[in-house]
Amino acid sequence: MKKTDLSNLAIKRLAIANRGEVAVRIIKACEELGIETVLLHSDADINSRAYRMADHKVCIGGSTPAESYLNIKSNIQGAKAKNADAIHPGFGFLSENADFAKACVDAGMIFVGPSENAIRSLGDKVHCKELAKKCGIPLVPGYEGDDQTVETLSKEAARIGYPCIVKAAAGGGGRGMKLITQASEARERIESAQRESLSAFGSSKVFLEKYLDRAKHIEFQVFGDSIGKVRHLFERECSVQRRHQKIIEEATSPSLTPELRRKMGEAATLIAQTAGYRSAGTVEFLFQDGEFFLLEVNTRLQVEHPVTEMVLGIDLVKAQILNACQSFVFSEDQYKSFQGHSIECRVYAENSYEGGMPSTGRLGHVHFPEGPGRRFEYGFEEDDVITSFYDPMIAKVIVWDESRPRAIQKMIEVLNQSVIFGVHTNIPYLKAILSHPEFIAGTMTTQFISKYFSEPLKPPSREPEVDAFVDEIKKQMGKSAWAVKSTATNGGYQNPWSEQWRMW
Amino acid sequence: MQKFEKKIGSQVYKAMAEKVGDKVWIHLNGETLVFDAETSGRRRGKVAGKDAKSNTILAPMPGKITKLFKKLGDPVAVGESVLVMEAMKMEYTLKSNMAGTIKKVAFKELDQVALGALIVEIEPTKET
Repeated sequence: MKKTDLSNLAIKRLAIANRGEVAVRIIKACEELGIETVLLHSDADINSRAYRMADHKVCIGGSTPAESYLNIKSNIQGAKAKNADAIHPGFGFLSENADFAKACVDAGMIFVGPSENAIRSLGDKVHCKELAKKCGIPLVPGYEGDDQTVETLSKEAARIGYPCIVKAAAGGGGRGMKLITQASEARERIESAQRESLSAFGSSKVFLEKYLDRAKHIEFQVFGDSIGKVRHLFERECSVQRRHQKIIEEATSPSLTPELRRKMGEAATLIAQTAGYRSAGTVEFLFQDGEFFLLEVNTRLQVEHPVTEMVLGIDLVKAQILNACQSFVFSEDQYKSFQGHSIECRVYAENSYEGGMPSTGRLGHVHFPEGPGRRFEYGFEEDDVITSFYDPMIAKVIVWDESRPRAIQKMIEVLNQSVIFGVHTNIPYLKAILSHPEFIAGTMTTQFISKYFSEPLKPPSREPEVDAFVDEIKKQMGKSAWAVKSTATNGGYQNPWSEQWRMW
Repeated sequence: MQKFEKKIGSQVYKAMAEKVGDKVWIHLNGETLVFDAETSGRRRGKVAGKDAKSNTILAPMPGKITKLFKKLGDPVAVGESVLVMEAMKMEYTLKSNMAGTIKKVAFKELDQVALGALIVEIEPTKET
């Protein structure tokens, strides 16, 4: 399809070094801006929505991330082969890799994101903490040394005190992150974090941090515009996490007073401004007993960016692309207040009744119930295959409503009506969380999941009459393909169940 | 995909159902149910590797073995970590639910294993 060039943007053709729903999100922004897209994809992702939507596609390698999505050279070569003039890295994979940003610029392309230097100074968690100290932003006690031997790390863990947490220096998204609750666990957890870090980010460097046991995770969206002005775009709360992987996020946080919001927003803006930050980034804080500590800065778009978009009326991906074209400047009165409340649920391919066991396979019917204030971000459709090569997130469901209670109510109903066949999902688990008194009260901490949801969910029981209905459906579905087809096409008048139920 | 509807009491129940591979998927009342297509039993489709008490450790998912803590002949206690698997970029530690000695290790580190593959077999300690 030929694109209408609506504006005179520096980017005419943009390559996407990512997959799944975020690749779709970027393609949509490009379509609206009249920019052509090049999808840089792996062998495994030929059956995906982004592949079907992109204008051009280049296979950049095999199914494992190391062969494709983490391979800088392949991504650059693929983008150049299709004459892309820019690369958007999405989130995860190479999105926070300064070498990738540099390689992109060296190859004569625009990197949609912050500069190589900003990624280096903020993205490396150790450097970021030094910068925070200079800015006077409070930090969680920890160890960030270069001595990475397990012996030293274990000793430092003991000094910081248990529980403490070991994290990938180059990490994010909960990978390469382990909790150490006592000395006997230190070695195993440190080694495990190093392995996960090496496999996910290409570096085994880790650091240690005191684990706050009743903290909330509150993060501020920041954005540096084309003339270097940094603004914060309010906060998101992401306290509902399992194994440090976020599950439910919302904007804004139910726990901040206007005064704390102002203070934290100022701190977030200050550190980003000091690093000369451009484009979208996120300053993460832990918040406990009215005090906040800087956790890390993510130098990229976040998975949960839609909730900020919903309460502010901004398109962060378009803003990123326009900014990369030097065409995004904040006006004084823009984005000064938020409206209503937005919640995002991450739909993972896993079995809620088996303790979150990953579920892979070919997708059957997929249906999301459209409606006002509802948004569905997904990368896979019917007949696409969910593989074990990548993370298990298959979709995001986002709602907006005028208040938090109404947004919760809407989300539960939307999840009730969302249908995903072929793989198990965490939807039952999401609904249980949304209905929990502590979540409804907004007082949940990062301990919420381990405190209330450590056991696999129990499958709900059904009334005998409903069970009988299920048996009828099963029987009907078990018939031969021909029989099912014939009853389905004749309006059901001759099927033996027609008195009780219809098929169409 | 097929749709069904039935009135039970005063409430109308709407369902969707589809056969995907060898399973029948049903969405009813906000709940998704899965059954083996052939059997008419009520049992929920069982996931491999979830045996309650077993002298074997099976792969609960397709993935890669990243670490083996035990080798042939090693003693193992209940709840002790035996190996680490990686799938979907997350690590899962598989533990023994029985005391004994390692009788068989069918794979080595970095091997890819299929769902349900036998990875480790344990010779249980005789009760005394």
